[in-house]
Amino acid sequence: MKKQDANLVIETTSGIELKAYYTPDDVPPAHRSRARQAPGEAPYHRGFHPTGYRSKPWRIFQLSGFGKPEDENERIKFLLKNGETGFIMEHDRNTADHCYNVDHPEVLARREDVGLTGAVMQSVRDMAICLDGLPVDTSFGHAGGAVVQHAPFALAGYWTVARKRGYDLSRIAGTGQSDFNLTYLGCVTKQQIPTDAGLRFNADIIEFCAEHLPRWVPVSIAGYNAADTGLTPDQELGALFANAVEYLDEIKRRQNMPLEFAAKGCGGVSFRASIHLFEEAAKMRAARLMWSDLLQSRYGLTDPKTANLRIHCVTAGSRMTYQQPLNNIVRGTVMAMAAVLGGVQSLGVSGYDEALSIPSEHAHQMSVRIQQILQEETNLCAVTDPLGGSYYVETLTATLVEKAWAFFEQIQQQGGYLASLDSGWLHAQASENQYKEFMAMESGQQNVVGVTCATEDETPFHVDGFMGTDDAFDVALERLKDIRRSRHEAGANAALKNLEAVCRSDRNIMPAMLDALESDVTLGEIGDVYREVFGDWNTPIQT
Amino acid sequence: MSAICEQVDAALAGSRPALARLLSIAERSGPELLEIEDRISARVGNALVVGVTGPPGAGKSTLINALLPHALKDFDGVGVLAVDPSSPFSDGAILGDRVRMQGGEYGSSVFIRSMASRGELGGLARAASTAMRLMDACGWSLIIIETLGIGQVELDVMNLADTTLVVLNPGWGDTIQANKAGLTEAGDVFVINKADKPGADVTRTDLLESLSLLNREPPPPVCQSTASTGDGVAELWTALRDHQDYLEQSGQLDSARAHKQQLLVRRTITHQLTHEVERLMDSDLATSMLDQSTLGQLDLRQTVDRLLRELARPRG
Amino acid sequence: MAKTGLDGHWRGPTIVARALRDAGFEVIMIGMANTDDIVRAAVDEDVDLVGLNVGGHIDVAIRAVNSVQEARPEVPIFAGGTVPPRSVKMLQDLGVEVYPPGSQLADIVDAAQRLTATR
Ligand SMILES: Nc1nc2c(ncn2[C@@H]2O[C@H](COP(=O)(O)OP(=O)(O)O)[C@@H](O)[C@H]2O)c(=O)[nH]1
Ligand SMILES: [Mg+2]
Repeated sequence: MKKQDANLVIETTSGIELKAYYTPDDVPPAHRSRARQAPGEAPYHRGFHPTGYRSKPWRIFQLSGFGKPEDENERIKFLLKNGETGFIMEHDRNTADHCYNVDHPEVLARREDVGLTGAVMQSVRDMAICLDGLPVDTSFGHAGGAVVQHAPFALAGYWTVARKRGYDLSRIAGTGQSDFNLTYLGCVTKQQIPTDAGLRFNADIIEFCAEHLPRWVPVSIAGYNAADTGLTPDQELGALFANAVEYLDEIKRRQNMPLEFAAKGCGGVSFRASIHLFEEAAKMRAARLMWSDLLQSRYGLTDPKTANLRIHCVTAGSRMTYQQPLNNIVRGTVMAMAAVLGGVQSLGVSGYDEALSIPSEHAHQMSVRIQQILQEETNLCAVTDPLGGSYYVETLTATLVEKAWAFFEQIQQQGGYLASLDSGWLHAQASENQYKEFMAMESGQQNVVGVTCATEDETPFHVDGFMGTDDAFDVALERLKDIRRSRHEAGANAALKNLEAVCRSDRNIMPAMLDALESDVTLGEIGDVYREVFGDWNTPIQT
Repeated sequence: MSAICEQVDAALAGSRPALARLLSIAERSGPELLEIEDRISARVGNALVVGVTGPPGAGKSTLINALLPHALKDFDGVGVLAVDPSSPFSDGAILGDRVRMQGGEYGSSVFIRSMASRGELGGLARAASTAMRLMDACGWSLIIIETLGIGQVELDVMNLADTTLVVLNPGWGDTIQANKAGLTEAGDVFVINKADKPGADVTRTDLLESLSLLNREPPPPVCQSTASTGDGVAELWTALRDHQDYLEQSGQLDSARAHKQQLLVRRTITHQLTHEVERLMDSDLATSMLDQSTLGQLDLRQTVDRLLRELARPRG
Repeated sequence: MAKTGLDGHWRGPTIVARALRDAGFEVIMIGMANTDDIVRAAVDEDVDLVGLNVGGHIDVAIRAVNSVQEARPEVPIFAGGTVPPRSVKMLQDLGVEVYPPGSQLADIVDAAQRLTATR
């Protein structure tokens, strides 16, 4: 690193100007008393639980999947064998995100892409193959369904498989995410239901889970997807809670369930851990503080069970470089440490080959190993909130909270979180940040090792991107034909008709969706119903 | 035969690449422009031209996309010319209309062309009128021109189009009066798009009020649409057709076109003259006369008269 | 500029389009587009250069490249996106200039200028 001017202005990603060192006087007065609070006590910035990772290490939770359902099944088993402590199903994005079957023209035009980003699952039969032999009863499972319009299908599929295996749904733990940031802000799909229909889906899922699957995390707002699109950490926080408020206000309006349950349902979120170590750790602390504050001030909720935010964290994929990919193992470690120092409950580390392809088996194993080293060798799990009381980190935490609420307010002035997606306002914020970030790299103001400096590469290991399998499309097409041939057609039709009627009504969508899956209705047919009933979202940006 | 004439003939015979090429040549507005105009003039005048204007983001592109299937029932080919602004700083542009209207599903019966305004005020690109006539000559029987409608000067589209459609959104009532005036005068048909958003009714009332001040006979229709779902688009298409029928039946189509032709001639002359003046001012004659007038040897009147005479002198 | 895949990452193309505009290019965005859409735009817009944002399987990009080259053989193509080294090679063999993640914007703009210099 070049020697720097000691007077140079250095800022965090959120634009917080940093001093060369911090003293007790820097900590904002209102925040000082909070530092005396123990972890597990309101306002929880010091952690979820007093004994932290001693009593419960974070869950090693890796995104995984590609190819045919059986390829994904094999990869998940590999990860579990290697030490993963929960599992995530990943659905092929071409089909899942759009609710298309593989014979949709837009998919046919890109058939080789099918199965590259997750397994193709067009029916409950495919889900059953993917889940074959997996511990859905004892493990925390992620059903996929990260995309709002896809979530009811993915959840119903997972639950149907579990039920068929004889498990009691009320005992099943897991999540499906169903996150707006993913496809309305981050990776904008070609076609999806409008945001108001999406809000209704998520509220339906929250209500359904409260009644039938109390251990399930019905929705999980992913700040990750906002941050990796360009929102700064303070904005990530502000947007996440603005999103939570949309859910809670909707549940409150509906008056079908106690708000505490809904708050608990929304209280499992996901964040991005990026490379600015202390700011990212402070962000997790700020998030817990903000959540308990929000629930109390806006909804009068104080029960620790709901006011205590649970955080899943994924390291920043966009930070991983294409050049000298092994350097990404170090980046992954630092970002993982940011998350752990911030006290998250579960963690996924991006593969070192992230900028080239989906993770290879080795990259996946490495992501698990990084976490195991942190858990087993570093003594990081011994003390809860190790950064608590640091003048620097407490100041950062308090400043982030303040800035994040200011962004939250800005969103409210735009008409709320969903309105700011509809209008493209959030995209504009992200886009501006992206451009600045890019320019900082371009101008040499921000160095990236192996890319803008230190570009000599002596590695004997040639990393060349993992390309999955090449029969995913063919097999999926075959299975699609097969299910159309072999299912009870009248039953499938009736279930689909019923689903359409429910979509047009204000009844909860989940019972009809479970029926549809049970009756072998396929993903694309469900998507057609959505497109017919809800129309298309008016994408505010030129994607 | 010149290369340009060959291109024109190929385009007239139905070659899309040739038409596309000619549109680029027209955009450069070089000396070939008149050659192109000459060669197509006999074939021009068959297309109906609909201009679509309105504030950025009103949903013009989305609406045109939604109108296509209706238009294709009445016309065998639809050409779309979509104009977006150039950056005043770099002369570059990001042209995004195609994102909303790929036209792919209609195969060879839709031709979409993007065009940057290249510094032209009035909401149109300088080449727009030639482009329009090229498409007309090549047999595109309906031509839709999308223009930026910002402020009141940006309304040249009404001088090109037979029918001008003004697209507004709920909340339009809150815009400043001066901007309203230009748009209300320009439109033959109005549509409040994004009718799915709150406030469409208030905007309708506002608009009808503004229109009533103009006392137009017959009063222009005010439609409502949600371009993204297609709601109200069929009705809008009918309103556009009705206006065209009205123009034809009342004989106004011909008189309006005559008027537009006059404007076109005037514009072309102005355009050419500007070129000529620039050339003249660069000439040795002008330079020496300017020197003399600076030294006080010639007065302004003498200088101007002498140069004007030079401008009018037939060149060999 | 087109995106060949159905995953909607819009960061890269947007930043590149902006830089090209600032360098004086008229950039026609067509968003997520299949091969037919890309070819139609390349012909009807009489473009001087085609920019592809590719990701996913390289065969999808190759199909787009082949079709553009068939319809407009004289038009250069450049590409960016998540392209592993071996796929970079495949595209280069087809005459496509490739700018993987981490490329400098200035280099991309230079390439656009160089590739269109004779047109
Ligand atoms: N809610 C709503 N949004 C629309 C409607 N029509 C267009 N939009 C959206 O408005 C934005 C701008 O549309 P666009 O056609 O590009 O507008 P233009 O600038 O006037 O051409 C896009 O996000 C469209 O999806 C509509 O009827 N309702
Ligand atoms: Mg437009």
